[in-house]
Amino acid sequence: MSLAFYVFLAILALLFVVFVWSLRNPKGHTVPSPSSAIPQDLQGSHVTHLPQIRRALAPADLEFASKRIPREALRRMQRERRNVALAYLSALQAELQRLLRTARIVAALSPAVAGGQELERVVLTWNFLWRYRVIRLSVWAGFTPLPQISDLSDLLSGYSVRLEETMRKLAERAAMVAEMVSSPDRRRIDPI
Amino acid sequence: MVLCAAMSEIGTLEQVLWGLSFSFNLALVFLLLYRKNYRLYPCFLLYALLNLFQAVIIFASLQRWSFGSATLYKIAWGTQGMVVLARAVSVAEVCRHVLAKYRGIWGLGWRLSVAVAALVLAYSWAVAANHWQLFVLTADRSIELAIAVAILALLVFARYYQVVIEPAARFLAIGFFLYSCSQVLNDSILERWLQQYATFWNLLGAITFLTSALLWGWALRLDPQKARSQPQLLPEDHYRLLSPAINARLKALDEQLGHFWRAEGEKT
Repeated sequence: MSLAFYVFLAILALLFVVFVWSLRNPKGHTVPSPSSAIPQDLQGSHVTHLPQIRRALAPADLEFASKRIPREALRRMQRERRNVALAYLSALQAELQRLLRTARIVAALSPAVAGGQELERVVLTWNFLWRYRVIRLSVWAGFTPLPQISDLSDLLSGYSVRLEETMRKLAERAAMVAEMVSSPDRRRIDPI
Repeated sequence: MVLCAAMSEIGTLEQVLWGLSFSFNLALVFLLLYRKNYRLYPCFLLYALLNLFQAVIIFASLQRWSFGSATLYKIAWGTQGMVVLARAVSVAEVCRHVLAKYRGIWGLGWRLSVAVAALVLAYSWAVAANHWQLFVLTADRSIELAIAVAILALLVFARYYQVVIEPAARFLAIGFFLYSCSQVLNDSILERWLQQYATFWNLLGAITFLTSALLWGWALRLDPQKARSQPQLLPEDHYRLLSPAINARLKALDEQLGHFWRAEGEKT
């Protein structure tokens, strides 16, 4: 009975934490009108900046510089490279937030929602956020050697092609949807 | 005089609190009728009426049976069962009021809330199932916990999908949540320290009811008409087209981070 008592106390404490979180007002975040729910800038992905990031973080650059510039300058260069990596991570995170907002609005304004899709999104978000925090902390603290980070872009060659394909399809679909919304024949978007 | 004679076995503070609870409940019913909130929340009116009915029944029973008698115990818990069920239905009504206009997420939300509440009900029942002498208490606590979880699911769902909960529904939900949680706490403490705590149990129950009744009263005096506009929904195929594409993009972002992750792991 004693264990049950503490279990219930723990459950209640957890419920209260979630309760307080859920009551916090997300400023300016409300379900907007359907027209603004359609993503406008689907091509503007920070992921496409990877080649530039790769160039900025190339290990060969650092190796070359280490032989030719004083230690102080080399340190500053490393710091700046780290800042580039952090900025890139922040951009990825901002893109995630933008996508999530769009996804939530579309879900909220849809007459039918698939549980599987929503669950997948929650799992993907969790995966992203916890890894993002760990990596960011690691890069910020200097635990992740930047030359190694730059190597990752080599792994992305095949992936980038797929991403471009996804973005192209998404843009096509969004354009189609936007066309449907702006069409003079609005029979299909009457309030349901 | 009759009232005093009937309640002579109960402490003065408890009598005052019971009287206050009854008055607040009565005021709640009047407010529901006067402001015509019963059109929006008919189940809440039923709950408030059942609460009044329970108070009258218990008061009448107290005149016939002594405070600790088995008959009174059965009457009290029997009516309590009805009241708790009416509250559960009221909570469902508030959830429906908040989310039903968003048909897609409401369809997902109510299934999720019912599933989570059923899981919590089963779990809390299983945790305390070996104490059959506390059957009623366990049942009461399980239902209260399920109600609290269902409300929380609504609030979390609304926050996740950025659905604005109108102030009246929000205060109603907060009142239900706080009341259910305090009942769970109250039942748990009563179960652990049955003898020592029994005298305070009713007292704390009355205090938490008063607090919740204040919140509900506040909710009912707010204008419910403001947020009743229906959102214009998107055509059905939008979700089918956009949601998988957005998820694919999220997956791509996730993979991108995964490469950072693996690159770091390989080095270390």
